[in-house]
Amino acid sequence: MSTLGTLLRQRLRRDRLQLALWIIGIGVLAYGSIAAVLDTYGDEAERTQILQLATASRTILVFRGTPNGTDLGAFSFFELFAWLALMGGLMSTFLVTRHTRAEEEQGRAELIAATPAGRVKPTVATLIHGVVANLVLGVVVALALIGAGLEAEGSWVTGAAMAATGIAFVAIGLFAAQLFRTSRGANGAGVAVVVGAYLLRGIGDAAGTPSDDLLHVTPAWPSWLSPIGWGQATGAFVENELWPLLLALGVSVVLVAIVFALQSVRDQGASLLPGRKGRASASWALSSSFGLAWRLNVSTLIAWAVGAAVAGLTASSLSGLIDEVSGDVPQVVDTLQAALGGGATLEQAFIAMFLSIIGILAACCAVQVAIRARQEEAHGTAEQVLATPVPRMRWLLEYWLVGVLVIVVVLAAAWLGGLAGSGASNTPSDLVPLISQAALAQLPVSLVFLGLTLLVFALLPRWTIGLGWSIVGVAAIVGVFGPLLGAPDWMVDLSPFTHSPVPTGDDIDWSGGFWMIAIGLVAAALAVVSMRRRELASGA
Amino acid sequence: MTTVISASGLEKRFGRTVALDGLDLQVDAGEVHGFLGPNGAGKSTTIRIILGLARASGGSAALFGQDPWKHAGELHRRVAYVPGDVSLWPNLTGGEAIDLLARLRGGTHDKAGYAARKQRLLEVFDFDPRKKGRAYSKGNRQKVALIAAFATSAELYILDEPTSGLDPLMEQVFNREIARVSAEGATVLLSSHILSEVEELCDRVSIIRAGKTVESGTLAELRHLTRTEIAFAADGVDPATLAAEVDRIPDAHDLLIDHGRVSFTVDSDRVTSVLPELARLDVHGLTVSPPSLEELFLRHYGDELRERTDVSEEALA
Repeated sequence: MSTLGTLLRQRLRRDRLQLALWIIGIGVLAYGSIAAVLDTYGDEAERTQILQLATASRTILVFRGTPNGTDLGAFSFFELFAWLALMGGLMSTFLVTRHTRAEEEQGRAELIAATPAGRVKPTVATLIHGVVANLVLGVVVALALIGAGLEAEGSWVTGAAMAATGIAFVAIGLFAAQLFRTSRGANGAGVAVVVGAYLLRGIGDAAGTPSDDLLHVTPAWPSWLSPIGWGQATGAFVENELWPLLLALGVSVVLVAIVFALQSVRDQGASLLPGRKGRASASWALSSSFGLAWRLNVSTLIAWAVGAAVAGLTASSLSGLIDEVSGDVPQVVDTLQAALGGGATLEQAFIAMFLSIIGILAACCAVQVAIRARQEEAHGTAEQVLATPVPRMRWLLEYWLVGVLVIVVVLAAAWLGGLAGSGASNTPSDLVPLISQAALAQLPVSLVFLGLTLLVFALLPRWTIGLGWSIVGVAAIVGVFGPLLGAPDWMVDLSPFTHSPVPTGDDIDWSGGFWMIAIGLVAAALAVVSMRRRELASGA
Repeated sequence: MTTVISASGLEKRFGRTVALDGLDLQVDAGEVHGFLGPNGAGKSTTIRIILGLARASGGSAALFGQDPWKHAGELHRRVAYVPGDVSLWPNLTGGEAIDLLARLRGGTHDKAGYAARKQRLLEVFDFDPRKKGRAYSKGNRQKVALIAAFATSAELYILDEPTSGLDPLMEQVFNREIARVSAEGATVLLSSHILSEVEELCDRVSIIRAGKTVESGTLAELRHLTRTEIAFAADGVDPATLAAEVDRIPDAHDLLIDHGRVSFTVDSDRVTSVLPELARLDVHGLTVSPPSLEELFLRHYGDELRERTDVSEEALA
């Protein structure tokens, strides 16, 4: 017992900040979203309209859930639960990998296994740790919903659904840790299962059977294969049934039993799936420092590009739909148009808004490339490259080039996705120039963040990661949500995102774009020049 | 003889910490130069300045006669570097990392020749190139950098504690590779705190301490500065008598009678003058040990060791 207690305390101690941020973050997200729902859809008529729109469109259901009536709680549950469960799932699988496979891979688990704690108790401690974290998360979410003004019983059912889904993902994470040799593999599998569970229920929900008034949807069978789908099946705030959660707990028990069976027969450090063997020699693509910078960024780029393509596809296919329903439900159109900003047609405004979110995505990608340069430096691998005939300035310039390429690929993916989805529109030919302009309009702002983060890297290397993400995060919140939250104009104007050209109407003002391209180039040039004077700053 | 590396009065400060405090280092073409010092003495910092990865706060450093900070890129064409703590890219295999580093260095134009050299090194170092970077142990990560370095021909090899993760068998392989590149005319700067390695491989050594060079020269020159240890069996003779006898020998210092052995030291250039006295005493089991590098080292760090012992004793008291 005492060793188990020690292991558990060590886990709590190590995670105290990280887990607190996850749990409080999800709680705040829940509270804030409900507040926004109450604010935007306080009126039952509005909720009816949006639910009918969602049920008619189906695509929206992929990202939300199954409508279950216009009750305020049920409406919030529909809007929110799948997202919250997705976050909780990621929290859970990361938590598990961190304390199991990552420890084994680093060799620290061996240190522990050689003490009386043995090989299996650390896994028990991780299981308890994950379960406790999810119970706390469930309570926090329930309290957040109650605090935001929702009815108590439904809120507690939502909290229970959060906890049960999260616990299922803890079990899945433990299983993945048995399968894979590396923490990267285990985390990858964990994320894939969580996102897969989200998409599976999305497909099931979108393929579900709507009621006649379009206010209820009964999900199709794929939703029943997903832990998030089980959480939704509680019908919180209406049916308030807890039995679907037994599915989550049952699967968890079975998986945990398998995990302990595997753990008791395998060697410390070994895995069920053998580590994959790679190439014995490098391909021609990996023969320059540019090739290396590209290689280090390409796998994340693919993920971002797929995301951008899906977002583009959704945007243009939805816009066609919005056009379609505008005749039927004029109130919805008014509501949406008011939210999107006047002047333009609904379709234009909608696509512009969606692509501005893709602009944030592309900017984040660019920031990540700059951060990769810092990681190379901190990790010590940059030192080896720079000890070969690669000058420092060229090295950083190549990261900038890779950043530009990444931005272009992400925007191109969104653009292609948009074109593919534009077939759903009544007037696809109008949509093509619009989507093209909207995608192009996101290039300047991404260049600004690429340049700024590289400049931070060149001047304050140790701050790159924290400051890089903070700048783009704050700018995105202020620029995109600031006007909705009532932030003062000067503050909103500080965010580069505010200045992205908006391709609505006939006259597009591109001047903000040109200014931002200039700023982005100047920042990047300063960064490259500063690199000449800068030493390598290794270590954290 | 041309000078490959020259540093004089090199200083490096990190904030208020002084890492290098007027370090001098000269490495001539074609020699294998040992760069000795305990952890934290400034070896890696010196190497980073020589490579132009860090900038000196004072003094001057030249690599092939040029400022390494300003001409890093072009100078690196002539250099192969193995860092002390080799990090690998987690998603690249060992083989990919070797190829990448060799190609960046520009040593792969002769494709067939490079492939053959790489294949030979993979075999002698017994290295599996197909694993991903994370899966390698410290010794195997070091092999990646070593194979990449030895698979290309450089004028200068800079090796920062290259064998710290290798087993004794691999150390022998490493020694042979150093001998090979040295025979081909390359210059080697080998930083180490493993004295036997330096003793076996190096023509000249520089010993540094707290950012300063304290000794530099050939091993023979340095040995000259220290005392030779002479020991023989006590053979049941009364220790007091023996001590009195030895005390009469001029030049004998540090007399110690312990575990049936009598030992003392003499200045290395005075050894022959002691021999007649030993013959007179008709000693058995005589050993004459020239000073090892270890003793050289301890001569410079001994007081530090003593201070540390004192501190820990004080702590205990």
